[in-house]
Order: sequence, then C-alpha cells, then structure tokens
Amino acid sequence: MARRLYRPKRRINGRRIGLYVLLIAVAALFVGPFLILLSAATKPASQDVFGFPPDLIPRPPVADWFREAWTTIPYARFLVNSVIYVGITVPVYLVVSALTAYPLARIAFRGRGVFFMLFLSIMFLPGELMLIPRFLVMSQLGLTDTFAAVILPAVLSSLGIFLLRQAFSQIPDEIVEAARVDGANEFAIFWRICVPIVAPTLAVLAILGFVSVWNSFIWPLVVLTSQSKFPIALGIAYLSGVSGTDVRGLAAGTVISLVPVVIVFLLLQKRILNSMGGAVKG
Amino acid sequence: MPGLKGRVVGQHWYTPYVFMLPGLLFYAAMFAWPAAIAIQLAFSDYDIVHPVRFSGLDNFVRLAHDPRVWIALRNSLLFVLMFLPLTVVAPLFLAMLVNLKLRAIQAFRMLYYLPVITSMVAVAVAWRYVFNREGVVNWLLGLFGAGPTDFLLDRHWALPTVVLLEAWKNAGLFMMIYLAGLQAVPADQLEAATIDGANAWQRLLHVVVPSLRPTFAVTLVLSMLEAMRAFESVYVLTRGGPLDATLTLGYYIWSKAFEDYDMGYASAVGLLLWAIMIVLAGFNLLVTRRRDV
Repeated sequence: MARRLYRPKRRINGRRIGLYVLLIAVAALFVGPFLILLSAATKPASQDVFGFPPDLIPRPPVADWFREAWTTIPYARFLVNSVIYVGITVPVYLVVSALTAYPLARIAFRGRGVFFMLFLSIMFLPGELMLIPRFLVMSQLGLTDTFAAVILPAVLSSLGIFLLRQAFSQIPDEIVEAARVDGANEFAIFWRICVPIVAPTLAVLAILGFVSVWNSFIWPLVVLTSQSKFPIALGIAYLSGVSGTDVRGLAAGTVISLVPVVIVFLLLQKRILNSMGGAVKG
Repeated sequence: MPGLKGRVVGQHWYTPYVFMLPGLLFYAAMFAWPAAIAIQLAFSDYDIVHPVRFSGLDNFVRLAHDPRVWIALRNSLLFVLMFLPLTVVAPLFLAMLVNLKLRAIQAFRMLYYLPVITSMVAVAVAWRYVFNREGVVNWLLGLFGAGPTDFLLDRHWALPTVVLLEAWKNAGLFMMIYLAGLQAVPADQLEAATIDGANAWQRLLHVVVPSLRPTFAVTLVLSMLEAMRAFESVYVLTRGGPLDATLTLGYYIWSKAFEDYDMGYASAVGLLLWAIMIVLAGFNLLVTRRRDV
C-alpha cells in the first residue's frame, strides 16, 4: 500500500518517458528512410550499401559520391533551372492570386459568387488529368520545351485564391474606409493597405508554392525535351536512369536535391505546419 | 452584399474585372481551354501525327471492352481501400500523439511532416533502398523468419508497397489537419467525460470523434481523391508493373497518351477518372452538408 501512495508522481514520469519513446519510434519511421539515404550517400566504395544486419554508419564518411553525382549529370544546371522556375513562378503566382482574390472579397459586384466558384473549380481539374490537353495547348502556342511551358500552369491555384479571399475579407472596413475618404483609388487601397495586411497569408502561399514548384516532376517531364531545361526532380530521375550510376551516387544526388527544401522547412516550419490546419479549417 | 446598388466611391463597374483579368486569362488558357480539348479528344481519334478525327463514342465502346481499363479500375479502387485507413484513421492517432503538451513536441510534428515537403522522386529513391531485397524491411522481416521479398517486383506486394509510400508521404499532412480539428474539441466536454469516469478510449469514441465530424469529411474526400489520382508514385516506383499489378487509372492514361500516342483514347479514360472523382467529391458534399442541418 505504501508503494501505491507515492506511485502517482512516478507514474507520470514513467508515462512521459514512455510517450517520448513512442514519439521517437514514430519519428524513426518517418525520418528513417532519409537517414538510410544519407548513410548510402556517405559510405565509401569499400563498404556495402545493403546487407543483413543493416550497417548504417559510414566508415569513414566520404564526400566522393556527392562529387560524382554533381559531375555525372549537369547538376548545377538543374539546380539553377529549379531556382529560375521557383523565382518566376512564385512571385507571379502571388500577384495573380492576390489580384484575383481581392475583388472576390472586397468589391460588391453581380456574379461574384459565380466567379469564386469558377476559380474553386480548379480543384477538380488536377494536373494529372490536364497533362494531355495542356501539352496540346502548349504545342499550339508554340511553347513546348520552354521555361514558360513549365511556369504557366502553376500560377493559379484554388488554394491560393481561397486563402487570400479569406484573408482580404477579414480586414476591418474602417481601415479601408479611412483611406477611401482620403481619396485613395481602389488599386492604391489594394496595394498599399490590404496587401501588407495579408502578408502572412502570402508568406504561407510562397512557401507552399516553392515546395510544389521545386518538387514538380510529371508536367516538366511531359513538356520538356531539352536536358538543359530540366528542373532538379527531373534531373534526379534522369540520374537514376543513367546506366552505371552507383546506388551511392544516386543517393548523394538525391540528398543534394533535398537540401534546399529541408532548409526552408526548418527555417519556416511553424508557418508551414500551421498553414495546413488553417487552410482546411477555413 | 453592401454597396450592390449605390456604388462605392472610386469603384467602377469594371473595377473587379480589371483585378481579375490576369486570373481569368490564366484560367481560360490553362484550365478552361485544356478542359474543352480533353472533352473533344475523348470523342476523337488523335495520334499527334494525323489531324484530330471525330469518332463519336468509339473510344468509350473500346474502353468498356478493354481488359486493362478494368485492371486499372480495380487497382485504383484497391488503392483507395488500402489508402483510406492509412490516411483517415492512422493520422488521427498521430495527431493525438503530437497534441500532447510535452517539451519539444513541435520538433516531432516537424519530423512527421518531413516526407510531405520532399519530392516524390527523392522519396522513391529512399524507398527503393528500404524495400529492396537487401534492405532494412527485409532484414526486419527476416528476424521473424520471413524470407526476403522483392516488394516492388512482386505481383502481390507491389501495389500495397506503393500505397504504403503514398500514405507515409501524406501522413503528416493528414496529421496536421486532425491536429487543427483536435485543438477545436471543446475542453469542457472532455473534462466532463473524464469526471463521469470515461476512460481514454471512451473519450475518444464519444467526445473526440463526434466533434471531429467536419474534419473527417475533409480527410475522407482528400484521401479518396489522392488515391484515385495517384500517378507519380507509380511512375517513379514501378511504372505500372509487374504485370500491370500497379497499373492505376492515372498511369494507364499516361502510358496510352505518352507511350502509345493514343491521345483520344487516353482522354476518354481520363474522362472516366474525372467522372469518378466528381462522384467522390459529390459524396463528400453530401457528408458535409449534413453537418449544417
């Protein structure tokens, strides 16, 4: 009985340790494959990549495979391309989305609901289903195998318009009215007053846009033929197709491609994580 | 709607359209026009070389008699069935875990979310290392006496492995959706249930799950649509093989269009997939509507 008396306190600690063990075990499930990738990428040629039991610690860690991946394919070129794709797509995406969402939230006009539904219908036209017709549109516009072809379909999304419309409509009327009384025109109100207020939403969309452009694979695969225009995800697929690429070299190339996204994620994780719940709740 | 009659100072009838002009142009060029082409092609013959030729319902007749369409349909539905519990049920438990008030819990949320932001191509490379014949999974199974399996080359295991990858990659996203839902569960109800002597399991079933109904509506449809359109994972892991074991509708459309250049027929299959997705979304609408009553 005496044992039971001070049990509660110890049980809380025991429970806490148990929970951390569980949390770490689940984390291993989600991060493990990346660690295995990193392990393969840093193992010397003399050490087996696979084997039972798995031997994950590189002895000694080497950078050779990163060098090999970098030179087997025009890696720097692919990285620069991806930076260009992100650098053009994301700002255009933000401007177009903000311009479109603004009247849907703040200007009363006939058919506003219809226009909103129209833009939300993008949700039901997923990229996977648009591959064929978009490819034909690009051929008719003479844009196949150009940077523009990769960028154009990515500058409009229902999520962007949805979130920005929500953010714009939450701006208190008094702020806008004050400017209107001072004689500001609609564009000035939009650009100087409303856009700065919705900056947090724009930041979230910029991050989501960056991630999705950086990772985009299928559409560039369809519309690009010149290797010199490949984004990095396509580059990795290309690397894995190059005959004689060592599994370690492929792992190293893959690791490099993950670095920018992971850095952005680590820096801005709070925003990214909170955005998803908020987007769905709204 | 304020100001529908009396116009606000500084606004003209055309003001909203000027704002929406770029959006409308992109919509027309990148969504409406392609959608129209897709519908036209579904009723046509087109191989890129010869001009588009109207062929009526030929593609759909062919579709109904194409055994591979049925294989793809079956695989896509199996995909949905396996994907649903992994993304609608399991992430709820993940969310409950990361909803605990513990030190460094944000770090764990972040780690669980990592696969969501990484590219499918990169993740597929990692998974091939994990699931290959000499990989970690086979070693673990070996500890229990199971022989090594080439999961992605095995007719029975290939599809479940692809589903598992998709679920693993998306789990963090679903977790965050549930987490937002969980944080809106009324604390007083939970407390009342605890005082009434409900254990953790009973609280989950009778308090948490009912108040998460709108969240379930979201995760359910998101999960179904994700599974129906699954394509990139198939492309990078198995290319529909072995022996069509992972041939999903999305992959079949791709291979008909860009390997066989049978664009008209591929568009017809695309229309079928589109119709299925609309039906699933409509189903979701019914579920969410009921909550408003």
